[in-house]
Amino acid sequence: MASKWFVVKRLLLLIPVLIGISTVVFAILHLGGNDPAAVMAGQGASQEQIETIRTELGFDDPIWVQYTRFLSDVSQFDFGESYVLKPGQPVWDSILVDKLPVTIELAIYGQLFGVLLGVPLGVLSAIKQNSLTDHITRIGALAGISVPIFWSGPLLIILFANILGMLPASSRIDTQYFIEGPWVFMGNELPLTGLMTIDTLLLGNIDAFFSAVEHLLLPAAVMGIYSMALISRMMRSSMLEVVRQDYIRTARAKGQGQKITMLKHGLKNAFIPVITVIGIQFGTMLGGAVLTETVFGFSGLGVILVNAIQAGDYPVVQAAVLVFAMLFTLVNLTVDITYSYLDPRIQQ
Amino acid sequence: MAESTWLKSRVRIVGGSLLAGVAIGVVGLLGGLLHYELQTVTTKLFAVGALVFGFGLLGWSGSVLLGRSIETVHRHLDRESDWTEASSRRAMARVAGFGGGIMGAVTVVGQAIESLI
Repeated sequence: MASKWFVVKRLLLLIPVLIGISTVVFAILHLGGNDPAAVMAGQGASQEQIETIRTELGFDDPIWVQYTRFLSDVSQFDFGESYVLKPGQPVWDSILVDKLPVTIELAIYGQLFGVLLGVPLGVLSAIKQNSLTDHITRIGALAGISVPIFWSGPLLIILFANILGMLPASSRIDTQYFIEGPWVFMGNELPLTGLMTIDTLLLGNIDAFFSAVEHLLLPAAVMGIYSMALISRMMRSSMLEVVRQDYIRTARAKGQGQKITMLKHGLKNAFIPVITVIGIQFGTMLGGAVLTETVFGFSGLGVILVNAIQAGDYPVVQAAVLVFAMLFTLVNLTVDITYSYLDPRIQQ
Repeated sequence: MAESTWLKSRVRIVGGSLLAGVAIGVVGLLGGLLHYELQTVTTKLFAVGALVFGFGLLGWSGSVLLGRSIETVHRHLDRESDWTEASSRRAMARVAGFGGGIMGAVTVVGQAIESLI
């Protein structure tokens, strides 16, 4: 298992990552031509009103003062108040808390789709190297890497929702189900997670659970196709490298069957680079969430980010980008810890 | 002895680019004042410096966090890449130093000019 020092070092590295992201977001918003005070005041506002807002919010302070204030607020998870989307409401409590679980659920299922299909396909492709199965898998992987979400999304909707009528094309659950907390555990009332598939189970509504899963299948597939393709390609290459190692030959020479040798010795070692790809892919997933949510009508963090950019709602943009960055770095921290478990040499 | 060499090499990497950033920041600020107001010049120049600094810091920490993993991925995908974690880390430290230099110069010189006005 990962040593404490290894985890602490990784956690400390999150600080420069978050400062870096915050700084880039701050800079981009200040380099843009929009005046946040004018955006807040609205179209019919007088110059005097705009100036009053500017003074109240400190936009007329020197930029280095604004920068240090911004970093100080962000370090306390104070993202300010929304200007346009929900004027005067705190960004974190009134916007992000509701939208974040939608994106997280989508990304988790997308990644699950990618891993559950990509790993077996990669192993199969490696075991049956240069066979028809291998060629088909490799062509499939190449196609999966090449297909963009804005194309595969509508295409799958046309096929599975419009032509075959098998899966729903939008929303998170059928309208007949109403999911609302709290849920009761051992006599205590607890809030729901916001993850539809988990909440339906917590409330014991199995029909609603299946409805939520049904609604997630297409978006998860769209998000997971690229991931699946990359993972299968990586798994194949990694497995091919591992099967040529001496310890595999030794295990086979001692009489161990091929399947057991592959599963017991091959798979664990071949997984190391694949785990890395899964971590890095999570960032692409979050980026893809913006498009997937738009195509499938999910109101998640991605859609909010796009709306906030269009409306010039800077605090929401800053908060959404920072939350995306935090998610990405935390997933990669988990990957690092898993990585060090699979290969303890990493810690040194 | 070894620690002093370790520190020296790092100071040299960041220090050189920091000084370059300071020089560019001062020249940019004084040049900008010929055409624009002080607040406009300091805001835009500081934001440019912050962008470079943030990008460098993000790149540096990203290289430290994921650099070795990316090297492994490149190797496994047979990508002929000369990219290494160490070279990326050094390059990004220079970028961050340069951006930090601009930010520092704009803050100090900007404040000095403001107090004179």
